[in-house]
Amino acid sequence: MTHPFDGSSLDLEKELTRYMVERRVSRRQLLEAIAKLGPAAALAPVIAACTSGGAGPESQAASAAASAAASAAVPSAEASVGAGSAEPTAVPEPEKELFVYNWTEYIGEDVIPKFQDKYGIKVTYDFFSNTDEAYAKLGKDGGGYDVSFPISVDIPAFKEKGALLKLDKSLLPNIVNLGKEWTNPGYDANNEFSVPYMWWTTGVGYDTKRITDTLTSSKALWDPRWSKHIAMLDDWQEVFGLALIQMGLDANTTDTAEMDRALALLEQQKPLVRVYSTDTTTTMSSGDNWIGQIWGADIYKIQEENKNMVYYIPEEGGVRGSDTMAIFSGAKHPIAAHLFLNYMLDAQISADNTNYIYYMGPNAAAKQYISPDILNDPSVNPDQAIVDKLQELLDLGPAVREEYLKRWQTLRGG
Amino acid sequence: MAAESPAASATTAAPPAADRSSRSPGSRLASAVLVLPGVVWLTILFLVPLLIMVVISFGTSDATGGVVLDQPTFDNYARTLDASFLPTFLNSLRYALIVTVLSLVIGYPVAYWISRYGGSHKALLIVIVMLPFWTSYIIRTYAWMIMLRDNGVVNSILQALGITSEPIILLNTDFSVILGMTYGFLPFAILPLFVSIDRLDPSLVAAARDLYASGRSAFLHVTLPLTMPGIVAAAILTFIPAMGDFVTPDLLGGAETTTIAKVIQGVFLQGRDWPYGAALGFVLMLVTLGGTFLAIGPLRREVAGA
Amino acid sequence: MKPRNRLLTIYAAIVYVFLFAPIVVLIVFSFNDSKRSVNWKGFTLDWYPTLFTDHALVDALSVTLRLALVVVIISTVVGTLLGLALARVRFRGRAATETLLLLPMVTPEIIMGLSLLVFFSAALGWHGSFTQLVFAQVTFCISYVAIVVRARAAGMSAQLEEAARDLGASALGAFRYVTLPLIFPAILSGALLSFALSFDDYVVTTFNAGVGSSTLPLYIYGRVKFGVTPEINAISTIIVTVTAVAVLVAWYTGQRRNATRAVTEDESETDLAAPPPPATPTSRAGAGA
Repeated sequence: MTHPFDGSSLDLEKELTRYMVERRVSRRQLLEAIAKLGPAAALAPVIAACTSGGAGPESQAASAAASAAASAAVPSAEASVGAGSAEPTAVPEPEKELFVYNWTEYIGEDVIPKFQDKYGIKVTYDFFSNTDEAYAKLGKDGGGYDVSFPISVDIPAFKEKGALLKLDKSLLPNIVNLGKEWTNPGYDANNEFSVPYMWWTTGVGYDTKRITDTLTSSKALWDPRWSKHIAMLDDWQEVFGLALIQMGLDANTTDTAEMDRALALLEQQKPLVRVYSTDTTTTMSSGDNWIGQIWGADIYKIQEENKNMVYYIPEEGGVRGSDTMAIFSGAKHPIAAHLFLNYMLDAQISADNTNYIYYMGPNAAAKQYISPDILNDPSVNPDQAIVDKLQELLDLGPAVREEYLKRWQTLRGG
Repeated sequence: MAAESPAASATTAAPPAADRSSRSPGSRLASAVLVLPGVVWLTILFLVPLLIMVVISFGTSDATGGVVLDQPTFDNYARTLDASFLPTFLNSLRYALIVTVLSLVIGYPVAYWISRYGGSHKALLIVIVMLPFWTSYIIRTYAWMIMLRDNGVVNSILQALGITSEPIILLNTDFSVILGMTYGFLPFAILPLFVSIDRLDPSLVAAARDLYASGRSAFLHVTLPLTMPGIVAAAILTFIPAMGDFVTPDLLGGAETTTIAKVIQGVFLQGRDWPYGAALGFVLMLVTLGGTFLAIGPLRREVAGA
Repeated sequence: MKPRNRLLTIYAAIVYVFLFAPIVVLIVFSFNDSKRSVNWKGFTLDWYPTLFTDHALVDALSVTLRLALVVVIISTVVGTLLGLALARVRFRGRAATETLLLLPMVTPEIIMGLSLLVFFSAALGWHGSFTQLVFAQVTFCISYVAIVVRARAAGMSAQLEEAARDLGASALGAFRYVTLPLIFPAILSGALLSFALSFDDYVVTTFNAGVGSSTLPLYIYGRVKFGVTPEINAISTIIVTVTAVAVLVAWYTGQRRNATRAVTEDESETDLAAPPPPATPTSRAGAGA
């Protein structure tokens, strides 16, 4: 949570402690590193943090050296190849408990019980219903939780707040299972602070019984024939993104003139829209809405209620998103948290998750265990060619966000 | 009396007896016991956090959704005067007023019936009024969604009775929002109304009838004015939360039913702009409080003078 | 009066039907053979046994009930005292207290929830917990109780109490035997309102619950994105049924007790300060004034 009375003074003791926590280094190991590298090199990142705020090239090099020393001091893990399932060896004794905060039903059915049985760690698993509330609770250090699942676009902001714990890769041997496009994502270079969890696309779903045309364009959401039976997402970035892409523009534009054009387009649509809602399962299966902007993986749940629903990614383009698993800086059980992340990166477990929640994971090794229905379903797992064309919604910063929100408010005004 | 707020004076309709008890020191202790727990609690756990938010409302938000306080500014309040908010504010006000009036009009006869004809079952009948509200709010709203949708219960009945030939759009409209909100606030109206009607002495009404007043006249000139405290309480307990309700309009509403409460929610959570959200929230509070005080005055005069 | 009686009764019945219509739908859909609650797919009893194995749901329910109980007790006591004071006692700062009372109700829930989050974190370093929830929820319940009690106590002349005092009752005795029974309906109403407010609260709770203190509304809202399963309907049905049964039992025993008391009336005191039995409010004209 945001602490309005945050002082901005640092002191060496606090920095040192934070440094050690981030790198999972005990005082003994730090002393060893100092002995090996000399105090200047070992402590350079700490001093850099105290004096500047940014990372100059010298301090970056120094911190690289220090991390190398630190991981040399920590017993390294053997990464066992094959089967996509690796355990870190010589793991420090894990804590007995773990606090996890996630969406409901966003994990395989037996995944948590199996984890508890395997490691004897008791997991308290709480849930939230939207990310914004969750972020308010997670605040600057996790708000009491060890692990949570932020959307990828928000990782830079969390990092900047100092909310995330830097991951100790030696405890995450399963990270090699990630597909190559996920090893160095734009929102978190080299997965230093997070590992990807699931990804999805945003497109259009419609009822083939009510709508007999074969639809391929997002312009279908503006068709007056289905007036008052159209649903859009209650998410300003997704809605503006759709309009911008439809006009051939960048979904992350910072140009206010382009935003105004998108607003005009959306205002034309508004009289036809029945509801703006993220509860797509309900809005699209009740029969009240015949076409809507939905997230790809939701089509499965909608189809359970209405077999006639199909999903397509508009020919103009669509949006791709993903979320992550991260350990928070206030985590009281960091070892257990690492074990949990490693466990979730396991090929079989990742497949269990996908098979249950119908979202595609970033785990290449898991593909062998994923149900073929899902692998072959273009709404959940579209062709690479299509995926390459999709745009990812980015964190645009407060000034630009404010511009969008003003227009969103004008649109939704009532 | 002049120093008291309209709300206070509205609820002390009967002339207060010379309260001998308030003058003796022992009973000053008693007064303190009565007043202090509530006041202390509300001060520490409500006012202080609220003041923190007031401070925040003068700050600015930084890149990561935190709050910067070193340069206090009125900017956030200036932004609330933006024209784009006016339709939403008015929408909320419209809903709140309609729902309050409906709740009072629908609730008063029920409260009256329970009090006059409930006999020894009065408490039971009151508890039954509250019973639906010990289930989950969201499930009750889902139930309304099930009933009001295009192929839902209500439309099916209308078509079966031949009143309509096609489903009419009931859900995601003003109608469904008002219906849902009234449903949600009805018990909040019925309870205080009942409480006030119940303490009315029926012999007063009988006396008026004996003096040749018609039933209607007796109601207007005796019952209604004497149950004013209950009406005012019911109005307060309905109007104020209705102004701030965002869940019902969110779930039962549609593209055109945005409320200011939902906007504030969005500013805090999606916009991550706490200072701005706080400013908006306080403006909403002022409008609501102002509206309440303005409405209670005329309401009381209207009924008392009728 | 008979014709008016009939019309009014029919009207009241319609309103009760209105109040319970969604509950009927809710109960019916608890037997829905479908993973989502929204479309009827067939009849099944399966959701009832499954709900007992859903530990998260059962835990959430237990937290919610315990929380509501504590919150109701505290807010009813504090609210009643405050309501009485505002109705009867002329004290300095009365107008200010009136406004203080209205403020929590006027405050948008999100502001109250977030301000408490910030307050507890800044002042006590708390990150949410059962205790924090108690503090948070009582804060918004007090006003409701106080307003309802005040409405009842206001205008109720102090003469009855003074008469009791004149006849030798202590302040406490007058309070206990005269005031309390007279305002009992208001206290009950306040308690009922508080329970409903606490049981169903979402916004303030979401920001003040901590690890492991999730309530039922949090659990349910959390499932909205993935579809609300009939399990939730099942648990709601159980709650309503249990409550209805408890209420009926309480009422029935109240009836029996009144009947036996009528039989043994000659044992009661003739002192004016003697209470009418405070169990159920009756419409005896004298006591109702």
